Amino acid sequence: MLSTLTSIFIATASVQTAPPVVTPADFWLPIGASVQAHNVDLMFNIINYICYFFFVVVLAMMVWFVIKYRAKPGTRIRTDGMTHHTVLELSWSVIPLLICIAIFFFGFTGYVDLITPPKNSFDVNVTAFKWGWQFKYPNGAQSDNLVVPSNRPVRLVMRSNDVLHCCFIPAFRVKKDIVPGRYSTLWFQCDIPTGIEEKNGYHLFCTEYCGTGHSNMNRRVMVLPQAEFDEWLVKQAQWLDEIPDDELYFKAGPKIYARCQQCHSLDGTVGLGPSWQGVWTRLTSPGGARFSDGKSYADIIGPGKEYATPEDYIRDSIYNPGKHLVATYGNVMPTFKGQLTDRGVDSVIGMMKHLDEFDAKGAWTKTLPPAAAKTESKSEQK
Amino acid sequence: MTTIVTPRPELLDTSVRPDNYLTYTRGFLSWALTLDHKRIGVMYMSAVLASFFVGGVFALLLRTELLTPGRTIVSADTYNQFFTLHGAIMVFLVIIPSIPAALGNFILPIMLGAKDVAFPKLNLFSFYLWIGGALFTLYSLAAGGFDTGWTFYTPYSTTTTTGGVIPVLTGVFILGFSSIFTGLNFIVTVHKLRPPGMTWFRMPLFLWALYATAIIQVLATPVLAITVCLLIVERTMNIGIFNPSMGGDPVLYQHFFWFYSHPAVYIMIVPAMGIISEIISVHGHRQIFGYRFIAFSSIAIAMFSFIVWGHHMFVSGQSGLMNTIFSLISFSVAIPSAVKTFNWTMTLYKGTISLTAPMMYGLSFIFLFTIGGLTGIHLATLNTDVHLHDTYFVVAHFHYVMMGSALIGMIGGLHHWWPKMTGRMYNEKAAIAACIIIFIGFNVTFFTQFMLGSQGMPRRYYDYQPEFQIYHVISTIGAYIMACGFFLCAACFVQSLLGGKKAPANPWGGRSLEWQCTSPPPHDNFSSPPTVGNCYDFSMLRWDEKEQGYVVDKELEALAIAAEARGHS
Amino acid sequence: MSSASAEHEGHADHAGHADGHGHGSAEHEKYPFLAHHFETPAQQFDSAKLGMWLFLATEVLFFGALFVAYAVLRSRFPEVFSYGSHYLDTVMGGINTCVLILSSLTMALGVYFAQRGKRIALLICLWLTMAGAAGFLVIKYFEYSHKIHENLVWGPGFYIPPHDAMGEEESVALAHAPAPAPAAVPAPINSAPSAVPMIGAHPAVDASVVKPASMGPLGLGAGAVNHASAVTHDIIPDQLPSAHLEDAKMPPNTHLFFAIYYAMTGLHGFHVIVGMVVIGMLIYRATRGDFGPNYFTPVDLVGLYWHIVDLVWIFLFPLFYLIH
Repeated sequence: MLSTLTSIFIATASVQTAPPVVTPADFWLPIGASVQAHNVDLMFNIINYICYFFFVVVLAMMVWFVIKYRAKPGTRIRTDGMTHHTVLELSWSVIPLLICIAIFFFGFTGYVDLITPPKNSFDVNVTAFKWGWQFKYPNGAQSDNLVVPSNRPVRLVMRSNDVLHCCFIPAFRVKKDIVPGRYSTLWFQCDIPTGIEEKNGYHLFCTEYCGTGHSNMNRRVMVLPQAEFDEWLVKQAQWLDEIPDDELYFKAGPKIYARCQQCHSLDGTVGLGPSWQGVWTRLTSPGGARFSDGKSYADIIGPGKEYATPEDYIRDSIYNPGKHLVATYGNVMPTFKGQLTDRGVDSVIGMMKHLDEFDAKGAWTKTLPPAAAKTESKSEQK
Repeated sequence: MTTIVTPRPELLDTSVRPDNYLTYTRGFLSWALTLDHKRIGVMYMSAVLASFFVGGVFALLLRTELLTPGRTIVSADTYNQFFTLHGAIMVFLVIIPSIPAALGNFILPIMLGAKDVAFPKLNLFSFYLWIGGALFTLYSLAAGGFDTGWTFYTPYSTTTTTGGVIPVLTGVFILGFSSIFTGLNFIVTVHKLRPPGMTWFRMPLFLWALYATAIIQVLATPVLAITVCLLIVERTMNIGIFNPSMGGDPVLYQHFFWFYSHPAVYIMIVPAMGIISEIISVHGHRQIFGYRFIAFSSIAIAMFSFIVWGHHMFVSGQSGLMNTIFSLISFSVAIPSAVKTFNWTMTLYKGTISLTAPMMYGLSFIFLFTIGGLTGIHLATLNTDVHLHDTYFVVAHFHYVMMGSALIGMIGGLHHWWPKMTGRMYNEKAAIAACIIIFIGFNVTFFTQFMLGSQGMPRRYYDYQPEFQIYHVISTIGAYIMACGFFLCAACFVQSLLGGKKAPANPWGGRSLEWQCTSPPPHDNFSSPPTVGNCYDFSMLRWDEKEQGYVVDKELEALAIAAEARGHS
Repeated sequence: MSSASAEHEGHADHAGHADGHGHGSAEHEKYPFLAHHFETPAQQFDSAKLGMWLFLATEVLFFGALFVAYAVLRSRFPEVFSYGSHYLDTVMGGINTCVLILSSLTMALGVYFAQRGKRIALLICLWLTMAGAAGFLVIKYFEYSHKIHENLVWGPGFYIPPHDAMGEEESVALAHAPAPAPAAVPAPINSAPSAVPMIGAHPAVDASVVKPASMGPLGLGAGAVNHASAVTHDIIPDQLPSAHLEDAKMPPNTHLFFAIYYAMTGLHGFHVIVGMVVIGMLIYRATRGDFGPNYFTPVDLVGLYWHIVDLVWIFLFPLFYLIH
């Protein structure tokens, strides 16, 4: 049996150099779409077969003995069973040991491949926070879902803003914890483009428990051919700039809102943060909502007060979320400083002002831009 | 060498003392202040079973919530608290104390032939520590619950806003000392209180297992104690040792935590293995196969358990070299586990197997432990673990080991020693039915989770992708089946207490010392000193029509003892 | 419970007493301290001693984890440890070491006298040991209070000038701790405006109030210089509390040295207090005349405990005081 195993392992080793193929989803594993997946799957399946073998041996022996030596009432006690058999016992100590060492060795070599990124990798900076991801590309573009080029090693340089997170892409068989205060890296190469459609992307999960929104910290990974990817990258870096000012709130707003929606609803549903429903009315009416320190909106917003305009207040709330907490809400929002540009903030503010034009999920319900462009000039002052 | 004391073969001396430990004294205080290890064991058992019920209810709530993606019955925060509570209760309040503190307390001194554990007062104290720890855990619910996961990983555990974190950490700290004192007591008892004739290699394998467990309890638990201490200090005083923004290191916390919590896995499983060694040989009526290999494999597991903790951290950011070393060492645990499994199977060979309820649990154990153990290989292998880490595969694996093996072993042991503890028999057929239902429910629940995990479903998820739903539904159905099994099992025990047939001293034909005293045992365990012989020699059993079981034939036994005495002199 | 000894007849004696069969009850009558489940005083003593050694093993592991934390932190920040060590008073630490070693000696003599039944000598030794423990704590108290006065404490409080630290230490500390924006990689030395309001009780306007875990990787140490600039104009360095805040050479994360210092010496101090309690109980029992050549187990066990407490200090002293 050992020799058969050895030959399987040798086969494994030789397969490592063969061109990677997609491993289709099967009973145990999901589709394997990265160049590393093949080895991991092979290892998984080899271990599986070893397990099947030993399980069947133990189970068959057990069932057979129980049936054969079952005591019927009145049976005399058998005393002819041996009490020990050193050779037998040594053999089932040593054989599993050898198998284990072999498994260890091939797991180890596969692991070295898994953690050693090739030199020419494409780097994406990843920031994980409660409860979302942000992907930053070398040209300054940012995205919520991970978009990577195909046929090229990609290295994720990951950091966390708050607690432990963990980046897991099942289809690529890669996973790495993200420890605050350190950079963690992870690499993969996927040769099968998915297109930019989100529903075709591979899953990306957070697998280190991080609180309320842990299970919603999932994103998609889209793989594009290099040329298409380059195009996307350029467009992504500029997308906010290309939208005319008066279309910002309905073109950019919903895209940015996707990052807010886990905590802030549009329809008044209570979430981790205040709902945006009626937020502009609250901000501009006298009194307004109360903060946890007892002040109201009117106490801090207005000429000569802490914020001259409601827009100033919103902008600061996005950049310094913990400064004024609306009563009953905790200090849980991460800062978006360095993530949302002024134009991004403008889109959000514009969206807040025109909430009646959006449905509960944040999709714009009108088909044509409003005839008379509403003045966004206030926000342009900055 | 000490000569074996063989007074007279008048052994099953049931008529002399009708009084037993249950009726020895009466009143609440006679239990609350008892120093009798049997009563303490019974109190532990009741407390552990009550906690098991609570933890089980949380498990059912979790499974119900997971029936559909998104909200089914509770909110995400509540769900997070539920799985944390389920984990913390099951680990710290149920499985760790279940076999050593509950069954072990009752059985160890009797099996050894001693009158009590070495430090009875310490024993009672450790029970009250357990109660204290449990009360703190309960109080943490009133204080706002805790949603950290039972692993309390920093910095989440030091920053979460739930108010019950410090109470539950205090509870864990106290429970840790309860566990340490139990272990300390057992080690000293085994070393110093063995009666003449009870040499190390005459000890039943359950005692070897408890001894190995006690070593782990004594040497690993202090590290948990200091770790939760540091966590409390970190949370209250912000000292920064685990806080990355202050130069501290969250991975250090993980090392500390797993330095205890990996050995803790063996605190759970090793005594269960001991129980299975007893059950298989007593109900198979056959000398255990390879006594020394099994005994030493318990000790080997205890030793290895201290040097493999890093396999919980393959993707946590510890260095690749450390991962490699920990992976290599982790495989070493496979060897003693394999030895035990094969030896149990071989014990069935040419046995005289009675398919009693304990035996059914024993066979279930071998089945489930084989699966649990073999899937450990996937997780010890570096590259497959990267994919499987923190998915449901891990959840399934450790449930197969911690529940399918440790807890099933405990329930099997409870059936095995139930007549001894209560003096009553239970309904054998109903108990077997309960075992089969639990076995089926268990596999339906957790085998599905292997597939969920390898397909990529992360653990501790409130919401999940729709393609995983079918597995979750099956798993939840399994959980309900299992719950039915446990209720039937409980009903069986209640029925036995209320109107069970009186148990004879030795209903199974066991040969270790606890079967030589009456059922239930007298206050001082033995009315006459027990005869220490080969506890796995079943040659003197004969079928008894009246009992419908195997009993010790006194003539055959006298012959055997005489032969042994000759052999030794 | 030992009254039940009548039923213990027939139990064989402990190994080593070749002819000792059946004397269980006699032993129990002869030695009133012998618990019912032991056969001989020797067995009881051996059990107690083994139990104590096991307990000491747990103590070693208990402290062991802290020593590991020390090693990890020190290997990561060697400069912090050699710098922080300057602030510890070697003389006081040295005196304390001597005091503890002497108290260990008196404890050992106490065991010696207890074994020989010399009650008065035993009591003198126990009182001396007690005095040593108390003396240790008194010196430790002076060390601690001096450090706290100098603001050499753990955590964020380390960076707050003491007149700010009164009362609202925690909240102010969190607000003042300079928190580099998560995305910023080089340490942004906060400009003067952020330092000015620190004199007052109100948080700086643009100081982030994000919880400590969100502060990003750079640590609190980066802020020390700013605080210094805020307070120099009215404080002369090296003579007044918080001299360390003026020190431009102070490495980042120095608060960690004091965190582990207080954690380890604090835990050790707690063990000294427990030691005093159990020695007090011994004094009570010794006064009553419980101990003699036949029964001195408690003295022996407390002696073991006291030695391990000393031993831990013997490691703590050089690891904290003698590393600069």
